[in-house]
Amino acid sequence: MTDTSLPAPPPPSAHSPASPAAPVPQRPPTGGRGFWLIAPALVLIGVFLVLPYLNIVVMSLRVPTVGAPYGEGFTLGNYTRVLSDPYFLGVLADTLSLGVTTTLICLLLGYPVAWHLARTTSRWQGVLYVLVLSPLLVGVVVRSFGWLILLSGNGVVNRTLIDLGLIETGIALMNNRLGVTIALVHVFLPFMILPLVGVIQSIDPVIETAGQSLGASRFTVFRRLILPLSWPGIQAGTILVFVLSLSAYVTPVMLGGAQMKTMSVLVVQSLIDNFQWPTGAALALVLTGCGIVAVVLYARLSQRWTRSVQP
Amino acid sequence: MTPGRGKGLGSRLFRVLVGLVYAFLMAPIVLIVLMSLNAGEILSFPPQGLSLRWFGALFANEAFMRAIGTSLLVATIATVASTLIGTSAALYVVRHAGRWREPLRLLLLLPLMLPEILTAIALLFFLYATGIGTKTMTGLVIGHILVTLPYVFTNVASALYNYDASIDQAARSLGAPPSVAFRRITLPLIKPGIITGALFAFVISFDLFNMSLLLKGIGMTTLPLQLFDYLRWDFDPTAAAVSTVSILLTFVVVLSIDRLVGLRTLRFG
Repeated sequence: MTDTSLPAPPPPSAHSPASPAAPVPQRPPTGGRGFWLIAPALVLIGVFLVLPYLNIVVMSLRVPTVGAPYGEGFTLGNYTRVLSDPYFLGVLADTLSLGVTTTLICLLLGYPVAWHLARTTSRWQGVLYVLVLSPLLVGVVVRSFGWLILLSGNGVVNRTLIDLGLIETGIALMNNRLGVTIALVHVFLPFMILPLVGVIQSIDPVIETAGQSLGASRFTVFRRLILPLSWPGIQAGTILVFVLSLSAYVTPVMLGGAQMKTMSVLVVQSLIDNFQWPTGAALALVLTGCGIVAVVLYARLSQRWTRSVQP
Repeated sequence: MTPGRGKGLGSRLFRVLVGLVYAFLMAPIVLIVLMSLNAGEILSFPPQGLSLRWFGALFANEAFMRAIGTSLLVATIATVASTLIGTSAALYVVRHAGRWREPLRLLLLLPLMLPEILTAIALLFFLYATGIGTKTMTGLVIGHILVTLPYVFTNVASALYNYDASIDQAARSLGAPPSVAFRRITLPLIKPGIITGALFAFVISFDLFNMSLLLKGIGMTTLPLQLFDYLRWDFDPTAAAVSTVSILLTFVVVLSIDRLVGLRTLRFG
């Protein structure tokens, strides 16, 4: 269900399995004891996940050929071809900037909701949780179809705006970057909101009152106290959303049309339509590399920033 | 500064914004359900009267019915397999893993942390290279098991952490053989975790798209794939009807998790 791989954050209220409060085994670990319990999982992940991932690297070095997915022998040519083609580089830049915009909008919309969800005393809190999770629980094709109904030329949004007399003819809400961004923000908001709810719940409300009673304005309290304290959640949420939007496939295909192609779309095209597996593998790895570099840079910079504002 | 409680302009704006985001999250799903009940010929809004005619059209549509069958079959096999593998892995990681606990936990969550489309691509290359290929359902099912495994694992592991292992030891010290202690003590206590994990795995597998797109063979069109193909050429309320069926399935599962064990136990990773 991902665009929907769910590398999801732990629901904030639950007890985390990683927590040190877990009971310590009474008996010292005795090597192979009960090893058969985990053997099937290890085989599954080792053979059908780790090996295949290593194999992508091998595939990206294969010689492309005609009539078969790949030829004999090895070359670095796929990378030089991909990295020197302005079309590929343009799509790569589009994909990265789409990831950044999606992440920023998710943060701006998600923070207030997370604040509300963390601090509300409403008995509807449980329902609101399900509501926040609902985009994740509905399949990606169904969800994108919902956005098609809303955003198409003759869709609900355009109809409503025309009926209200706000516009004369339908405006282009999809088959472009706008449509993809809207639908991606929708599905990735839960990944932003959930980690934020966790950190906000752990901020003692007394801090806000204390800051204000010492004469700080609301804005100062937010900037100097709340924001740095929420930072771990912001960081977790932004990285998650950024990485997920880079690899989104169905949403750009259904809502981006010919105008808004992303790297995932190109990769699948080169695998299925053009039958050029080495090119597809190289494209996928270039995107992965860029994603990793972006996340590492961001983590470095934000570390420096938090140190400078640490109260 | 607790917004949402004050009466000032700021907190009112805050509440409006939050309300709008909640509405935004719900909009596409609510709309699909409304559209599926449309009596009109096209996907028009507001609906022209209520009717179940498009559900009739759906049940008469052979391609969709076959796809629902395929999806149910794949999801069932994947759920059974990942429940067995995930539950026993959780037992090992929590009970026996010692200092390997954390690395093993991360390894089991790996399929969740890697992008599904990349995993699908990796598997496609690998199935081809090993000669397993995509002619049979094997590759498709393996992909689905991989993706659903972490859900079972985390849910069972957290159930295991949440109960006191000394109960087991008490049973054993009273003379119960390990198999009896497991069946009579451990299993009933972790049952909620297993049920939640399995139900969740089923829904995830039922909705999985990328994996199925790349790994399906001929005649293995699952429901999301069929809907995707259908929407390329047709844009009528039949698509809304089939989407509603899939939404209903998910909500039935979420409600049963809530009834059986409470939603609080639901774990995403």
